[in-house]
Amino acid sequence: MTGANEQTVNRRQVLELTGIAAATTGLGAIAGCLDDPTGDGDIDELVITQGEFIENTDPNDHNATPYYNVFDQVYEPCFNVTRDGEIEGRVVTDWEHPEDGVVELTIRDDVVFHNGDDLTASDVAYTINRQVDAEVGFGSDQVAGMTAINGAEAEDDETVLVEHSAAESLAEYQLANFTRAVNEDWVESFDEQPITEPEMNGTGPYELEEYEAEVEAVFTRFDDYWGDEPAFERVRMNAESTSSGRVGGLQAGESDLVVNVPPTDVQTIDDEDGVYIDEEVSFRNIFLVMKNEVEPFDSQEFRQAMNYAVDNEGIISNNLGGFGEPMTQPIPEGLFGYNEDLEPYSQDQDEAESLIEDSGYAGEEITLYSMDGRYLNDSDVAETAADQIDQLDNVDCNFENVPFDTIADAAAEGPDYEEYPFFLIGWGNPTGDADYGLAPWFTSEGGQFNFSDEEIEDRILESQEENDEEEREQMLQDINADLREEAPWVFLHLEESIYGINEDLEWDPRSDESIYVDEMDQ
Amino acid sequence: MSFGKFLIKRILQGIVVVWGVVTITFALRAVSPGDPVNLIVDDAASQEFRERVREDLGLNEPIYVQYLEYLQGILVGDLGYSYQSSREVTTLVIERVPATLELAIAATVVAMIIAIPLGVISGTRRNEPADYGATLFSLVGISTPNFWLGIMLILVLGVQFGLFPTSHRPVGFVEAMRMLVTYGYVGDLLTWLHHITLPAIALGTYFTALITRLTRSGMIDELGKPYVTATEAKGLPGVLIRYKHVLRNTMIPIITVLGLQLGTLIGGAVVTEEVFSWPGLGLRLIGGIRSLDWPLIQGILIFIGVSFVLINIVVDSLYAYLNPQVTDE
Repeated sequence: MTGANEQTVNRRQVLELTGIAAATTGLGAIAGCLDDPTGDGDIDELVITQGEFIENTDPNDHNATPYYNVFDQVYEPCFNVTRDGEIEGRVVTDWEHPEDGVVELTIRDDVVFHNGDDLTASDVAYTINRQVDAEVGFGSDQVAGMTAINGAEAEDDETVLVEHSAAESLAEYQLANFTRAVNEDWVESFDEQPITEPEMNGTGPYELEEYEAEVEAVFTRFDDYWGDEPAFERVRMNAESTSSGRVGGLQAGESDLVVNVPPTDVQTIDDEDGVYIDEEVSFRNIFLVMKNEVEPFDSQEFRQAMNYAVDNEGIISNNLGGFGEPMTQPIPEGLFGYNEDLEPYSQDQDEAESLIEDSGYAGEEITLYSMDGRYLNDSDVAETAADQIDQLDNVDCNFENVPFDTIADAAAEGPDYEEYPFFLIGWGNPTGDADYGLAPWFTSEGGQFNFSDEEIEDRILESQEENDEEEREQMLQDINADLREEAPWVFLHLEESIYGINEDLEWDPRSDESIYVDEMDQ
Repeated sequence: MSFGKFLIKRILQGIVVVWGVVTITFALRAVSPGDPVNLIVDDAASQEFRERVREDLGLNEPIYVQYLEYLQGILVGDLGYSYQSSREVTTLVIERVPATLELAIAATVVAMIIAIPLGVISGTRRNEPADYGATLFSLVGISTPNFWLGIMLILVLGVQFGLFPTSHRPVGFVEAMRMLVTYGYVGDLLTWLHHITLPAIALGTYFTALITRLTRSGMIDELGKPYVTATEAKGLPGVLIRYKHVLRNTMIPIITVLGLQLGTLIGGAVVTEEVFSWPGLGLRLIGGIRSLDWPLIQGILIFIGVSFVLINIVVDSLYAYLNPQVTDE
C-alpha cells in the first residue's frame, strides 16, 4: 500500500515538473513571438549587429571601423566627414591656420558630456595628446592615423592650438577622422588606462545604458544633446561573428541592420519580406603584394606581367558575385588624391608572356600566399589569380594558404623579405586622404613597407608638407599614376560592403563603412 | 592507503597535470608562427611604435624568462593582460564562467529529462519498437555534430517558425532568479529560458544519447539480477520495481559519468557558444584565437584544464570515500 502511494506521488511529480518545464519554455517562445520587432512596422529599439565588437570602453584604444561604429554613438567626432569626403565642423565650429604647422580649432560653447560637465578646449587638447603622445595616454593605436599631428594645447576655454608637421589639409583629415572628444577629468579618474570599466562619457546623441564586453552595448537618447534629436529612442549594438548567424538574426527579426552579408545570401534576403539588401563600394582594397627587392619581383616588367595575367573583372564576377570594383591605382576612388584618368589593368596573357620574356625571368616558379577568411572569399580570389598566372606559358605559379599572422608578419618585414614575397592582403582607407594609403606602404618608416623606391618615397614625403591644396592633389595623383606603372601590387578590387536591413529602417550605407545612427530614420 | 594519503596523491597528480597544461599552452604560443606585435598594433603603425610595444609587453625577453615570469604570475593568480582589450585575463575568464556553466548545466538537465525515461523504456522493452526507436535516437544523437544541429535548430525553430531567438543571452540565470525572488518578476526567467533552450538542446543532444545508452545497458544488467526476481515474487508493481529499485542502482555509473561529462561540456561548449553567440568562455576563446590574443587563449585553456582536474579529483575522492577498495588499489 505504501509502495503504491509512493508510486503515484513520484509519477505525479515527474509529470508536474515536465509540464512546468514545457509550459515555461512554451511561454518563453510565445514571449519571443510577441517581442518580434518587425511585427508592427515600427522600431522601438534599433538593433545593429556587426561581426566584431569593442573589447573595452576606451574610445582611444583601437583603430578599427567596427569599433568606431560603436563609439561614434557616444563619443562625438570633432568634425563630420561627409559622404563626398568633405570636412565640416561638428563640435568644432571653425578652424584656421594662423601660422605654418598650427591649426586653430574653435569649440562649440553648448556641448555637454553625459555626466553633465561642459566640453572645453582643454578636453579636446587632452584628447589629441592622449592619441599621439604615449606619455599622456597609454600608447594609443590611433597614433598610426595621426602621423602629422605633434600635439595640442588649449589657448582659452574655446580655442585649441594643434601643432602639426604636415600639409594643412592632411592635418585636417587626420583630426577629422580620429579625434573624438573625451572628458579629461573623467578619464583621469580611472586608475587603469586604457579604460576597461563598463562606462562611457561622451558628448554624442546617445548615452550608454548597458554594456557587456565583446557582447553588446545599449544606448539611450541623450536628452541634453546639443544637436538634432536622433530618430530612435534606444539602440542596441551587438556582435555575431558568423555571417550565417547575422543573416539568421535579420531574418528572425532580432536585428534591424547586419553587416557583411555574404554574396551567397543576398538573393535569399532580397526575396524575403520585411528586409532588403543595400551595398556600397567601400574604401577597402584587395591586392597582391610583390616585394621589389626579391627576385623575380625586382623587375617592373615582371610585376606588370602579373597584372596583365590576372582577370580582375572575372574574379569580381565569379568569386565575389559581382560585388566589387576593379582597382586602378593604390587608393580607392573618392579619396583626396585619387587619379580619375587611370584605368584598371585588363587581362592580356600575350602581353604578360611578352613582358616576362623582357624581364629575363622566363621559366620562374613563384608561389602566391593567402590567408583564408580575413576578407571576402580571399582564399578563392587568390587561388583563381594564381591559376591565371600559372596559365602563362613562361611562368609557374603555385598557391598556398597560410595563417593571417604569417601574412601580417610578411607585410611588416620590408621589401627584401624572401620567405613570403608574394601574398594577398587588404587595406582600409578611412581617412579620406591618399596619404593613409600611400605612406605606410611606400615610405621606409611605414609599417607596411614592401616597395622600395627612393624617388616615390621622397615625393610622398614632399606631398605631406605641401600646403597648396591643388598642388598637393596633383602631386598625389601623379604619384598614383606612377605607382600604377611601377606595379608594386597586382591591383585586384575594392570590396563592396553588403548590408541586410529591416525595411522599416531608412539608411544609406557609406563608403567609409561608418554607421552613424543619427543619419538613420524610420 | 588511507583516504587522506589517497587525496594528497591525487592532488599532487593534479598539480603536475595543471603544470603540464600551463607549459604546453605556453609552448604553443612560443612555437606558433607570427609576431604578436603585428597583430596588436594598427597595420599602419610605424616600426618604432612596434618596437616600443614589443618592449612594453616583455616580448623582447628570452623565451625562458617569459615562461618563468608567466609561471610566477600564475602562482599569484595573475594570468596577465589581454593584448586586445588590455583587461586582466583573470577577470575576462571569471566573468564568462557563469554563462558557460549555465549552458553546461542546462544541457545536462535537458539530457537527464530526456535520456533517463528513454533509457528505462528502452531497457525494459528490449527488442520492441520502443527500444529500436530509442536506440536509433541514440545513434543519431551521438553521430550528429552539435554545430550542425545548432545551425539546423536556428534555421528551423528560430528563422522559419520564429519560436526561439537565434542568438545571445540578454540576462543571466542568477540575475533572472534575483528578479524572481526579490520582485516576483518572472519575465527575466522566461527570457533566459527562451534564449538557452536551443543552445542547451544543441549541446546536450550528444550527452542525451550517451546517457540513454548507459541507462539502457544499466537497466538490462540490473533487470537480470536475482533481487528483481525476488521483488517481482513479492508482488510489487512493475513500474515501482523499474523506477524505485532498478533505476536507483543504474544511476550510480550515470552520476559518475555526469560529473566527468560536466568538464567535457564546459570544454565542448566552445562550438555551441560560437553558433549561438552565447557569451561564455568558448566564444571568448574563439575571439582570442581569431585575434591571436595569446594571454587570453592561455588563460582560458588553463581554466578549462584546471576545471577538468578539479572535477576528476572530486569524483575520484567521492568514489574512494564511498568505496574504500579504490584506495587499496
